[in-house]
Amino acid sequence: MSVDIEFSSIFAKYTNNQTDIKSQGKTVGECLRDLSRQYPEFGQLILDKSGDLSPSFDIFINGESVYPDTMTHAVKDGDKINIVLLIHGG
Amino acid sequence: MLSKKELERYDRQIMIPGFGAEGQAKLKKARVFIAGAGGLGSPAAIYLAAAGIGTLRIADHDTVELSNLNRQVLHWEKDIGGEKVASAAAKLKKLNPGIRIETIGETITEANATILVGDADLIVDAMDNLPTRYLLNRTAIKKNIPFFHGAVYGFEGRAMTVIPGRSACLTCLYHGASVPKEKFPVIGVTPAVIGCIQATEVIKYITGLGELLTGRLLNYDGLAMKFTEFSVKRDPGCADCGKLREGKKK
Repeated sequence: MSVDIEFSSIFAKYTNNQTDIKSQGKTVGECLRDLSRQYPEFGQLILDKSGDLSPSFDIFINGESVYPDTMTHAVKDGDKINIVLLIHGG
Repeated sequence: MLSKKELERYDRQIMIPGFGAEGQAKLKKARVFIAGAGGLGSPAAIYLAAAGIGTLRIADHDTVELSNLNRQVLHWEKDIGGEKVASAAAKLKKLNPGIRIETIGETITEANATILVGDADLIVDAMDNLPTRYLLNRTAIKKNIPFFHGAVYGFEGRAMTVIPGRSACLTCLYHGASVPKEKFPVIGVTPAVIGCIQATEVIKYITGLGELLTGRLLNYDGLAMKFTEFSVKRDPGCADCGKLREGKKK
């Protein structure tokens, strides 16, 4: 499956100034690991050492949360995955 | 009721269809608790004061530092070293002498949150750390009053409005996840955007106008100049609001 992964401009420095990346996989986890292979520095931020989603990030699929089964959630062609940083500044 | 001076002062917003003198009277009667007088709290408080909210109760335990001044627009160089709440109150009183400003220079804790929020009609979340944000979210749920969340990082910000029992709360959104409190990058225009969104939501809630930002996380990317919305549903297993019945409203 081919999906679009979108994220904030603050991460564009890790992805050659792109904020919308094509990725392949059958699940969210596979797509994020494919993204990590394409952009290892970004991958190190969003995934922990065991390949799970870092607690500092949340994922939305086509604008909806799929928590708690985020990484195993099946995706289909054309789905949009948004990577959202947990921010707390005021 | 509104005085002649108030009718003139707020004339332009009273003109808004559906707002009227009745809406203005609701703002005058309202008591708003603003948690934090920093980057988000400054614009939120300024615009709520300008709009004529009757009572603003502002809590912040910090003193003003030079590095605050790029974004915390209620505080100026002459205020460095002084209490943020005193600095905020002085400016807001000058902006609008017709409203009441109450200041709380204490740290918001599990032990005092309920007392500090007191009889406020709602909470504006302008904090700089997640534990206190969760605490205020719980306090709002306990009191059955709305909670207006905002957060910033660099050129990015987000906002969501919580109506306990009717829409997802902060814990439904973040599932209780936490990150360590640390110095974060921010440009002043970002909390200005988000703080004004929070103030807009507060005014809409009080006057009953428009559609609230409930069940939706609004994400602002200033570098791309793009707003994105994410759907956030209530979590039936939420530790904080899961047991509240749907539709319960004060």
